Amino acid sequence: MAILPILKFPDPLLQQKSAPVARVTPELSAVIGDLLDTMRASPGGVGISAPQVGVLKRIVAVDVSASKRGAHVENHGLLVLVNPEILAKGGRQIVREGCMSIPDYTANIERAQWVLVDALDREGKQVILESVGFEAVAIQHEVDHLDGILFLDRVASIKTDLFRRKKYR
Amino acid sequence: MGHFSVSVVGKDRPGIVAEVSRILFEQGCNIEDSTCTILSGQFAMILVVTHPKMAAGEINPAFEEVRSKMGLMVTLHALKEEEVVHEKAFSGQPYIISVYGADRPGIVYMVTKELARRKVNITDLNTQVVGSKDRPVYVMVLEVDVPEGVDMKELEKEFDRIRKELSVSITVRPIETMEL
Repeated sequence: MAILPILKFPDPLLQQKSAPVARVTPELSAVIGDLLDTMRASPGGVGISAPQVGVLKRIVAVDVSASKRGAHVENHGLLVLVNPEILAKGGRQIVREGCMSIPDYTANIERAQWVLVDALDREGKQVILESVGFEAVAIQHEVDHLDGILFLDRVASIKTDLFRRKKYR
Repeated sequence: MGHFSVSVVGKDRPGIVAEVSRILFEQGCNIEDSTCTILSGQFAMILVVTHPKMAAGEINPAFEEVRSKMGLMVTLHALKEEEVVHEKAFSGQPYIISVYGADRPGIVYMVTKELARRKVNITDLNTQVVGSKDRPVYVMVLEVDVPEGVDMKELEKEFDRIRKELSVSITVRPIETMEL
C-alpha cells in the first residue's frame, strides 16, 4: 500500500481514455489499495480515479461519508467501482467542484441529481446501484476521468463558473 | 526581476488583447497573471508582468502607439517584491453573499461597510442592473473570506436591518467545494 503522486493538468495522461479491466487480479487489488490510500491522504478528498495516478484503467473510488458535508447525506460509504458505467441519470444540480489534478481552480459544474451505475466491485462481482446528490456528483466526476474529461471541459462560462482557488491548505 | 501591473481601459473592440500582448512580448515581458472584463462596453484588463531587466518606466513609452491609435488608457505601475503574493493564502471560510432588490444608491456601500468593519475580505465582486428599463433590479454577488472569530449570527442581524432599510434580499451561504 502506498500514497501515489497525483498527476496534475496539463499532464496528457489525464486526457486519455482508460481501458476496461478484464479481471480483478491480485495486482489490480494492490492498485485499488494504493488508490484508496492516496484518496484518504488528500484533505477532504472524497473521490479518485486510477488515471489520476497514471494508471489508465477503468477504476474509481468514492467515499463521501469521510467528508463533513457527505457524512449526513444519503451515501453508500466507501465505493470501489471497476468498469463503472452510468446507465441512466436524471435531474440536475450545480456543485462547486475541486479536483486534485487541477489544484488552482474550482468550478460550478452542472451534474445529474441521480445516477444508476453498473460496475464490478473490488471482488469482481457485478453491482448495480443508485446514487443521489453529493455522492452522485462524485461518481460522475470520477467516471469523467476515465474518459479523459476534466471539470474544465464542463465549465459553461469562465466568467461565472470558474474560480481561482482562494484557499490553500 | 521586476514585477509591475499593467491596467488597460478603453472602448471595447476586437484586437485589444492582441495589441497589448504584442507590445509586452516585443519588450520581453512575461505575463504572470491577468484578468479582463467588459463593463457597459468598456474593455478593462489588468495584468501582472515581469521583466528580467527593464523597469516599468522604461516600458511605458512602448504603449504610446495603442494609446493614440486605439484610444486606450494604459497605466504601468511598479510593484514592490514584498507586495507580490504568489499563493492566494486566504485563511478564513469562503462565503457567497447575494444581494438583490430595486435599484437605488447605497446598496454596495451599506453591505460592504458591515463587512469591512469585521475585517471580512472581499475576494470577488460582481454587480449588475438587470430587469426591464422601468423596473430595474440591482444584483450584487460577493465572494468573501470570513476570518475566524466573526459572529455570523450578529452579521445576519445587521443584514436584517439593511434588508428592511433598503428592501433588498440578502442571502449568505458558505461555499462548500467538493474535493475530488
